[in-house]
Amino acid sequence: MAVYEKKYVWSILLRLFHWTFAPSIFTLIVTGLYIHWPWTNTWLEGSHQFTMATMRWIHFIAGMLFTCAVLARLYLWFFGNKYERVWDFLPITGRNIKNLFSTLIYYAYLTDHHEERLGHNALAGTAYFFTILLAIVQFLTGLYLLYPEGSIFTSIGASLFGTQQEARFIHYILNWYFAWFAMVHIYIVIWNDIKHPEGLISSIFDGFKFAKKEQ
Amino acid sequence: MKRSLYMGGLPGAMSRRGFLRACAIATAAMGLPMEMIPKVAEAASDPKRPSVVWLQFQECTGCSESLLRASHPDVATLILDLISLDYHETLMAAAGKQAEEDLDKAIEKGNYILVVEGGIPLKDGGVYCKIAGKTAVEILKRAAEKALAIISIGTCASYGGIQAARPNPTGAVGVSDIIKDKPIINVPGCPPNPENFLSTVLYYLTFKKLPPTDKFGRPLFAYGRKIHDHCERRPHFDEGRYVEQFGDVGHRLGFCLYKVGCKGPETYSNCPVIRFNDVEVWPVSVGNGCYGCTEPNFWDTMTPFHKRLPNVRIPGAGKGIQASATEIGKAALGVTAAALAIHAGVGIAKRLATGSKSEE
Repeated sequence: MAVYEKKYVWSILLRLFHWTFAPSIFTLIVTGLYIHWPWTNTWLEGSHQFTMATMRWIHFIAGMLFTCAVLARLYLWFFGNKYERVWDFLPITGRNIKNLFSTLIYYAYLTDHHEERLGHNALAGTAYFFTILLAIVQFLTGLYLLYPEGSIFTSIGASLFGTQQEARFIHYILNWYFAWFAMVHIYIVIWNDIKHPEGLISSIFDGFKFAKKEQ
Repeated sequence: MKRSLYMGGLPGAMSRRGFLRACAIATAAMGLPMEMIPKVAEAASDPKRPSVVWLQFQECTGCSESLLRASHPDVATLILDLISLDYHETLMAAAGKQAEEDLDKAIEKGNYILVVEGGIPLKDGGVYCKIAGKTAVEILKRAAEKALAIISIGTCASYGGIQAARPNPTGAVGVSDIIKDKPIINVPGCPPNPENFLSTVLYYLTFKKLPPTDKFGRPLFAYGRKIHDHCERRPHFDEGRYVEQFGDVGHRLGFCLYKVGCKGPETYSNCPVIRFNDVEVWPVSVGNGCYGCTEPNFWDTMTPFHKRLPNVRIPGAGKGIQASATEIGKAALGVTAAALAIHAGVGIAKRLATGSKSEE
């Protein structure tokens, strides 16, 4: 019978990042879709109920937290522990490129073989890497939309994305990316948690994973 | 059409285009569909012009002035062409005894619309406003008897206005406090928008009845909605961008005037939509808050005019959504920076203590 030992993988800061990032994404999608399509029956005059204003307000605050979470993750790319650093999971080394393809094949049920590793596998890591890049685009377009006049974000936004409408379009499309990402992410972590005894889901709460003890 | 009744200063004959334009404006102001314009125009061009008796009591003539001085000449011309103005102290050529005879004749004929401008004092037998030896209340009661309907133009005639402000030394009241048995419509404002007066008259001529009103007797088409909800500066209110004092940066940038006393959130009128004069301005558009002049007792309830209204909910934790999001964003950024600094500090301390790179 295999013997497992507890291994500390995710630092407090990474877990704080995750638990700021995840709820903010959920909130941003719900309120963002409302702003895109205000579906409630808002026929009352605006002075006594501010449905749209409240939705926008929640969206802005969630966006601020989202931005801070992304900044923290960027910091951890370079100054986190070895599982958190960006070169641990990007397919830029032979080991990671191999892992990327083997994980793909494994997820497609084409093989049962997979590499045990404590940090992100290369496929997850690559997905998270691009998600963070898109998150940067998302908060920059968001800040451009929030501060459309005479701020640093106006000039950044205008030079990177063009007009407000172009930025809004990018912002809206990426909203769907994050909805898709959240779905896929939750599905895969549950799938992995069922298949493996490493304690993937609990690791994002307490930071520990379980690895086979070498005997 | 003869213009013998009033003196010069008004443009002459109205062009067909101008006439139709004024009718279209009035139809739009009444909230009627475009198809009604011909009907309104028909009513307006009826050669049987209704007789109008225009009484002035405790007032400043500002209501008449704003009507006549409207740089929109068509409005004033249309009103004066629309009706047969049989008595108007400011405009009539007659004076003294002759003027009183005109009034007597008009009242004798009956079937006129009575327009009242100004408050009516009741205290001490109404001695505080007298014309030709008769008190205002006497004149009003006599003129109202044979009137088809009464239009109170301005806040004074509607609710008493400035002379009814505390302590109301002359006991001034509005027309509807005295006359109870006639259809009365209030067109308040200080002054009211001439378009609203024109629209009220045209509504009466078109439908032969007065327009539906709110509980303060104001036509709903003009006073049915809040200024705040149609204000061009409303986005600034929601976002939390306020003028903090007159002449500051926010004032120059055209921010919301709520904090310098705008009464838009409590005032019902179509000012932001209809606007004034030909240059399409209204108080808020030129950087002064609304004083709430279409509301009853606004001299008592809306003063001080440049102090903010209490109990108006501002979205975004009372700061405005953008302003409060900015504040929260800065705080969150501070917390993040602190967390990163702690993380970095612990890392460096560990390395100093162990003298080597930690493995994890």
